[in-house]
Amino acid sequence: MVGKVEETERFLFDGKVDIPHKYSAGKVGSRFLIEMRDNEKIFGMRCPTCKLVYVPPRSTCKYCFEQLSEWVELSDKGTLLTYAVAHQATPIQPVKPPITYGIVQLDGADTGFVHILGEVEPTQLKVGMRMKAVFKDKKERAASILDIKYFKPLK
Amino acid sequence: MAEKPSQEYVFVSYKLPLPYRWAAGKYLSKLYKEMRDHKKLVTNRCPQCRQLIWPPEMVCGRCKVRAGDEWVELSDKGKVVGYTYMVVPLWDPHKGMRVPEEHPYATILLDDGMYVVSRLEEKDKSKLKVGMRVQAVWKEEGRGHGLDEDILYFRTIG
Repeated sequence: MVGKVEETERFLFDGKVDIPHKYSAGKVGSRFLIEMRDNEKIFGMRCPTCKLVYVPPRSTCKYCFEQLSEWVELSDKGTLLTYAVAHQATPIQPVKPPITYGIVQLDGADTGFVHILGEVEPTQLKVGMRMKAVFKDKKERAASILDIKYFKPLK
Repeated sequence: MAEKPSQEYVFVSYKLPLPYRWAAGKYLSKLYKEMRDHKKLVTNRCPQCRQLIWPPEMVCGRCKVRAGDEWVELSDKGKVVGYTYMVVPLWDPHKGMRVPEEHPYATILLDDGMYVVSRLEEKDKSKLKVGMRVQAVWKEEGRGHGLDEDILYFRTIG
């Protein structure tokens, strides 16, 4: 309960609901996360028809609806396609604001990979910069997308 | 039979916070304030049909006229018209957690004709009966933190 109830004689109530969620990453998503956790490797999937390499991998090509099965190991380096800085805190964000989000196209991939950017001031960022993935320590990794701590500029 | 090749599957768990806030408004706040300050249940009366509105509201649901401020004190006694025994208690949205222990949960018809939903003190399932007389037991300390929590539970009376 908040607000000046004694002055206004009106009650305000705060809800405190956390909705618990759990979903399976699936066959393809699980392998992607496990390779990051166990081997510090980022894997994608190549479409046999249009040769597009997806990262994060998916089981179906979104253009030709082909079933994908060819795994491709990708570099942990890539090119920054775009970025944005979030100053407003929301409860779902993985770290405290300001957060710099970026989309990185890894070498060998055809799609952008969304992640956090770190070790860089937003003013120093430029589209087209070379970036490198920074993994967490092995004992901290938990088969999560955050097993990659962030992408940092490659010097 | 050949063993099926197994793969480790990853499950992603997270909690999605859903913050919200609502205002009880003038009429419901009057009820909550009386509950907090005087351990009383009150409601307002419709000026046209003269019936009691429950819970207290600005507009009479029957006549669609402005209800006004003719407040009436209600009895905190009534009878159980239905109950269930909550083994897995409900989620409390104002605390963000479940009610800690199992308890009976009943719909009670107050003597003035209002329905309230509350916990019962009687935890012996064989003694729970539809039609039994109950009376509200008010919380002594820390009233006013919200809703029907000022009533601890309803106690069986003779």
